[in-house]
Amino acid sequence: MSMRWCSSTQTKNLERWTLSWRTASKVLRNALLRTGFTWHFSKQSFLLSILMAHRLLVRRFWTLSSKDLRCLPVSSSFSTSLQSSRVPVLSRSRSRSLALASLRQAASFNIQDHDDFDVRVIKSELPVLVDFHAQWCGPCKILGPRLEKAVAKQNGKVTMAKVDIDDHTDLAIEYGVSAVPTVIAIRGGDVIDHFVGIKDDDELESFVSKIIGK
Amino acid sequence: MPPIENDTGKNDLKSQIQLLIDSNQVMVFSKSYCPYCVKVKDLFKELKLEFNAMELDLIEDGTNYQDMLLEMTGQKSVPNVFINKTHVGGCDNTLQAHKDGSLQQLLCAETEAYDYDLIVIGGGSGGLACSKEAAALGKKAMVLDYVVPTPKGTTWGLGGTCVNVGCIPKKLMHQTAMLGTAIQDARKFGWEIDEKGEASEQQRPRRSRRGDIGPVCRVKHNWDTMKDAVSNYIGSLNWGYRVALRDKNVNYVNAYAEFIEPHKVKATNKRGKETFYTAEKFIIATGERPRYLGIPGDKEFCITSDDLFSLPHCPGKTLVIGASYVALECGGFLAGLGLDVTVMVRSILLRGFDQEMANRAGEHMEEHGVKFLRKYVPIKVEELEAGSPGRLKVTAKSTESDEVIEGEYNTVLIAVGRDACTDKIGLDKTGVKVNPKTGKVPVSDEEQTNVPHIYAVGDILEGKWELTPVAIQAGRLLARRLYGGGKLKCDYINVPTTVFTPLEYGCCGLSEDRAIELYGQENLEVFHSLFWPLEFTVPNRDNNKCYAKIICNKLDNDRVIGFHYLGPNAGEVTQGFGTAMKCGATKEQLDNTIGIHPTCAEIFTTLEVTKSSGGEITASGC
Ligand SMILES: Cc1cc2nc3c(=O)[nH]c(=O)nc-3n(C[C@H](O)[C@H](O)[C@H](O)COP(=O)(O)OP(=O)(O)OC[C@H]3O[C@@H](n4cnc5c(N)ncnc54)[C@H](O)[C@@H]3O)c2cc1C
Repeated sequence: MSMRWCSSTQTKNLERWTLSWRTASKVLRNALLRTGFTWHFSKQSFLLSILMAHRLLVRRFWTLSSKDLRCLPVSSSFSTSLQSSRVPVLSRSRSRSLALASLRQAASFNIQDHDDFDVRVIKSELPVLVDFHAQWCGPCKILGPRLEKAVAKQNGKVTMAKVDIDDHTDLAIEYGVSAVPTVIAIRGGDVIDHFVGIKDDDELESFVSKIIGK
Repeated sequence: MPPIENDTGKNDLKSQIQLLIDSNQVMVFSKSYCPYCVKVKDLFKELKLEFNAMELDLIEDGTNYQDMLLEMTGQKSVPNVFINKTHVGGCDNTLQAHKDGSLQQLLCAETEAYDYDLIVIGGGSGGLACSKEAAALGKKAMVLDYVVPTPKGTTWGLGGTCVNVGCIPKKLMHQTAMLGTAIQDARKFGWEIDEKGEASEQQRPRRSRRGDIGPVCRVKHNWDTMKDAVSNYIGSLNWGYRVALRDKNVNYVNAYAEFIEPHKVKATNKRGKETFYTAEKFIIATGERPRYLGIPGDKEFCITSDDLFSLPHCPGKTLVIGASYVALECGGFLAGLGLDVTVMVRSILLRGFDQEMANRAGEHMEEHGVKFLRKYVPIKVEELEAGSPGRLKVTAKSTESDEVIEGEYNTVLIAVGRDACTDKIGLDKTGVKVNPKTGKVPVSDEEQTNVPHIYAVGDILEGKWELTPVAIQAGRLLARRLYGGGKLKCDYINVPTTVFTPLEYGCCGLSEDRAIELYGQENLEVFHSLFWPLEFTVPNRDNNKCYAKIICNKLDNDRVIGFHYLGPNAGEVTQGFGTAMKCGATKEQLDNTIGIHPTCAEIFTTLEVTKSSGGEITASGC
């Protein structure tokens, strides 16, 4: 599944959007406000906003793992949210992915922002391992894939959220991250366990098993 | 009028006085002829404060007032000052309260409560140190830090100049260059290096001291690897600072701060969102940014040290403009990576440093392939070809004649000095005085500006060292004095420092030039020597290039007032001697110190030749 595929589908949808610009504008406004963009009322800037929103959406969809996308009817989920003007697009797609996460046992995903964290981690029905990492951190690059493997082994009983601490400093600060990698386990919104630093495959496996209560 | 004897009369008087105190924001009980009273009243006039002065010598029952005041406050003398119903005291108390800011605090006490005890503007070396200390002492502290991107768009994280675009990347890149030299030396020590690799096009073969191309080992340097490694390390430091602020309970906001009132700042974040904060006290620690030349093409095509350390490509053939320590250090390590480097100098090297040492450091660079264009200033920079790196044409003119020269370079690095970031922070709204020529802030020996509740530390201070440990020390001590009952002031004398040129230069105390100015040649004795570090002997390089010099004050027991060292590990060598000088080390004490053999630093325990004697200083054996 390619990025191009993803965006072309959405472009089509966007064309449909512009037909009913009242409805669309409402949807879009909600979406934009949630993501911190300011809303402009001129039509010109409306189009610009659409482009921006489009880019955002592409990014958001893209960050679902390819597994998600494979069985997720992206276009239909998208048009569903378009038809209902009340529900902000982004949160709809998010709750969609949440539902899917539990259904499809999604393995791992990148956290986009605080709201995303709220939906996919705090409100998750499954326990979630949150991997706080940084680009400048060598050990993180070793731990990340190992953890992903350990999570995948559990066949969907646990998911993994990846948080880049430089992009989402507030989250990391909030969760008391001092050094990376830090992995915290969250169930029902509560931190139930954590570790800092690197671990080998066996250690990770037993950490993950403990989390899902094996 | 006779003294009041009965209680009713006394109580009447008391309530009269109390009414005066309660109804006047500033109440002064005074005597018209008393010079101390005049002083206090003048202060209030200067502060443009309305005050009510009751001249006790001009009213009938003045002595009764005075007796009652004694009963009420324990103070009989005048002036007797009250602010917002609080008894401040006499003249000295009032002046002191003005100096330490508690007067302002009293004045504002009723009208407003501030968001913070302390707001620090600038999260660099000085700002972070003092905000953390203030918070540790229980104060509500905030740091506002924001990096304005360079004209090239470079930006960075929390921690200020030193961590992001100063000391740290500079020293790591200097180390990179030193390792290159070590690889060359290593062959002489028997290391056999695979010579199949080829030097990249941008790297020239290393030249030996005499200028001929010696047996060269073709090692390649990869700019990207170095840059990424350095950036990654800096990334971890940025994070460390962020965590430290959280752990110390300092509120950190990533926003550009600007005063809009004496006690209020506007903070503008990346997205342009404005937030307002008030504080009782402020510390300005906004540091400096590189100066541009103001010639055509400088901002468009040239870079500064702010861009160099994260440059996405190897700079290639480079022209360094300037002879500041930043210029020589950057030029030095770029040459050490094997790049073709030219340094364009308007007049002298390392202004403010000992000129003999500066010239020796420069000569060493020249002998190692760095070209110097002396007495030229650039007049324009044009782009011949865009790219990474592109090609630039630099036109320069002589400072002594009409001669105009041109040269082609991949990169032009401007390092002609730095300007204090004090012009766009709303200082005019506070009344803080700034030197209009330099933008620097004059402060008292307690880092207080002319506005009592505003302090300043670090690079923006007038006439102080621009060094990270100085900013940290000043910031920390300031917080301790403000909030921890500390008394210690930052000592700006005998600060040791090191310039990381290829041959490093460490110093402490006065330059020879400055010492002569201050004490006169006849009152000084200068001891000096060349030396050859043991580690240079086997590779047979740089013989008699390293140099040690101390300047002693004959009028004061031959106390060492200047320490200068040109050689390997200058920072490590100089640090300890800095302590010795703080302790007032004399020549005799150095002579009585037993050296560590074989080292470079031991030379300072055996300095015998004085400059005035003209004696031989080239090194002999063990
Ligand atoms: C290339 C280079 C090499 C150096 N090497 C050394 C060395 O080896 N050893 C050494 O001791 N020193 C070295 N220095 C000097 C050292 O970096 C400085 O002395 C030190 O950083 C000064 O600290 P400071 O707190 O005054 O300011 P800075 O560290 O510069 O911090 C000021 C901070 O305030 C921010 N700021 C400015 N204005 C505002 C505003 N209005 N609102 C919010 N934030 C603002 C800035 O973005 C910056 O983050 C070097 C400097 C350079 C440029």
